[in-house]
Amino acid sequence: MLIAGDAFTFIIAWEIMALVSFLLVNHESEKKKTVSAAYQYMVMTHIGTAAIMVAFYLVASSAESFSFVDMSNNQLTGYMKDVAFIFAFGGFALKSGLMPLHIWLPNAHPAAPSHVSALMSGVMLKVALYGFGRFAFQFIGMDVFWYGLVVMVMGLASAFLGVLYATMEVDMKRILAYSSVENMGIIFSAFGCGMILYAMGLPMLSAVAFTAALVHGASHSLMKGLLFMSAGCVMHATGSKNIEHMGGLAKRMPYTALFTLIGSMALSSMPFTSGLVGEWLTLQSFITFAQQAGTPELRLLVVFAFIVLGLTGATALGCFVRMYGVAFLGRPRTGIVEKAHEMPFFMLAGLGLEAVLIILVGVMPDFLVNIMQQVVSGRGMTLMGNPLGIMWGGSGHYALYSPALIFIVFAVIGVFMVAAVYRSSTFQTREVTWNCGTEPTSRQQYSATGFSKPLRRAFDGILNPKRRTTYLRKEHAYFGRKLHYELSIPDMFNDKLYKPLQQRMINYSSAFHKIQEGSVSIYIGYTMVAMIVVLIWGVLL
Amino acid sequence: MDYLVVFLVLVVFLQTRVTDLKRAVICLASQSVIIAIACFVIGFSHGSDIHAVMPGVLTLIVKVIFIPGAVYRLVKKLKNEREIISASNVNYSTMAAALFLVMGYALVERLMPGSAGRDIVAASILMIMTGLSLMVLRKRAIIQIVGLITLENGIYLLGLLMTEGLPLVVELGVFLDVLIAVVVLVILTSRMRLSFMTTDTSVMKKLKG
Repeated sequence: MLIAGDAFTFIIAWEIMALVSFLLVNHESEKKKTVSAAYQYMVMTHIGTAAIMVAFYLVASSAESFSFVDMSNNQLTGYMKDVAFIFAFGGFALKSGLMPLHIWLPNAHPAAPSHVSALMSGVMLKVALYGFGRFAFQFIGMDVFWYGLVVMVMGLASAFLGVLYATMEVDMKRILAYSSVENMGIIFSAFGCGMILYAMGLPMLSAVAFTAALVHGASHSLMKGLLFMSAGCVMHATGSKNIEHMGGLAKRMPYTALFTLIGSMALSSMPFTSGLVGEWLTLQSFITFAQQAGTPELRLLVVFAFIVLGLTGATALGCFVRMYGVAFLGRPRTGIVEKAHEMPFFMLAGLGLEAVLIILVGVMPDFLVNIMQQVVSGRGMTLMGNPLGIMWGGSGHYALYSPALIFIVFAVIGVFMVAAVYRSSTFQTREVTWNCGTEPTSRQQYSATGFSKPLRRAFDGILNPKRRTTYLRKEHAYFGRKLHYELSIPDMFNDKLYKPLQQRMINYSSAFHKIQEGSVSIYIGYTMVAMIVVLIWGVLL
Repeated sequence: MDYLVVFLVLVVFLQTRVTDLKRAVICLASQSVIIAIACFVIGFSHGSDIHAVMPGVLTLIVKVIFIPGAVYRLVKKLKNEREIISASNVNYSTMAAALFLVMGYALVERLMPGSAGRDIVAASILMIMTGLSLMVLRKRAIIQIVGLITLENGIYLLGLLMTEGLPLVVELGVFLDVLIAVVVLVILTSRMRLSFMTTDTSVMKKLKG
């Protein structure tokens, strides 16, 4: 698909990708849930393909050719161009899992085997970005302002909502799937920001935003690949995906824990990991946008975008602290952890390779950033990356992201802190945590659900959690009662958008079913009525 | 020709009233006889070579002897076969036939005003529509076959009138078509009798998934 030279080849390759990934998701087809997830994925991805085909058709019919070279010289104007853009964006956004269209993603990933999830999240989502980039650069052009705005706002919405839902999940792979939604959101918001800057006539500045999208895309595929594989290792060791059943895995599988820590750090964009590079560039391009924004409304929007992106980053940090902390730290919650074992060397090697790459990119970002910048802007522009870090002077002020400097600062602070601790006459004692006089049990640890409680409270209006408390037994008024507490967080879009849509589809279909009951004589009757109508029409006209 | 039209309309109306299967087949045969005579009349009014005789002879062989014969043999095997509850359906199909006759005349008035053969054109339209309505309203498989043949006869007659003699190949094709359709239908109906003990097509609804 990447080397496709015309729309036909592109669509065929796209469909092959969709079909093959459907088969991969459907790998464990003996499970009912897997099959339904796979078919949901199939339906959604075909809706996306249909939208992309419409967009290609509109562009190609204006250019009177399906070859990309001719299509880039299309004469599409006015509202037809808007329609083509909306369809293209819808189709590619569906494939990359942006927020209202993400619905298949958190179901397909847990259903698929882990390495397939890694592949899908790492490559397939980015291919959709490539497709959209190609469409935006070549066919639609970016001279219309609101195109970029739509892309940016949708990216921001899915970044924030994605990470919010990720924080609520207890299934490891669903967490990662929602985190993919978040990261694709960040990538698309950077892309949209670039489109806006381009539309404002600032191609040099927009190059930074596009670089940000590409860098974050590359690093996301690294870290999401790592984490999906580590989720696979955990599943292999414990047989469960639910982090509520884990705890203390770090003692059992130290290397997996280390690599997962690196991946989690990267996804919560900590320094020295590749995750920060892309996000930093995204934020830089937002700042640039804020400085170039002409009207107060636009400035307000950028400020809002900034806040949302900051909130996203903070929530992502919380999300991965929760995932890592609950699964790998603390005490074992159930017996499955006791049986867990470290992975064999070759499984760890895959994790280790990606962890090393993440650290490498994080410590020396100049290499990746320079490559991506050359992709976007050609060789003419001064490259941002240098051995010190990334230098960016486009917005009038110089901004610098330098892992080396951060390291020095950290080292100095660390030295001071250690010195402060050891200078005073300190003493150490190890005690059991005080627990009102009783031994703390593993059930008294922070659970995953409990960890995300404050966030759930804060965003109650968005999440709409459904809580149900039932007393199972009531033999005595005061004790011996068993409490059953149920908490579920339905996906907002699933409940408000997809289910009514599905219901309506079914209603319409059953209305059609009445006139199409499979009775042959009724069908002949239709023919007869049609004939009479045609004949009478012929008489009357 | 006028007498033929009268007889044809009579037979068609009779067909809508008949519930006994044997009588329905006899009605079909007599209808086909009328068609055959019409073929001869039209043929001889345009010439007197072999081509003028051919359609009539074919109609006689296929539609008067073979098809009603096959259906009649099938009917003889069926016992206790009457359309029982479809008295209202019978009335509806007669009413519909009356409406179709009016419609046919209205059509002919509009489409070819003042033509000499307006009665027979109207009658053929009546046959087409009545055949369809027999297929839609009646439940018995045999009556539906009869409806199909009536429809077919109507189309054939209309074609003959409009073109004043079709090419021989087309006529042969049409006859073979009908022949094969009826053979298949008769086979299916007798299979249906074996499987369901009846030829009421409403039991076929059970087969639907």
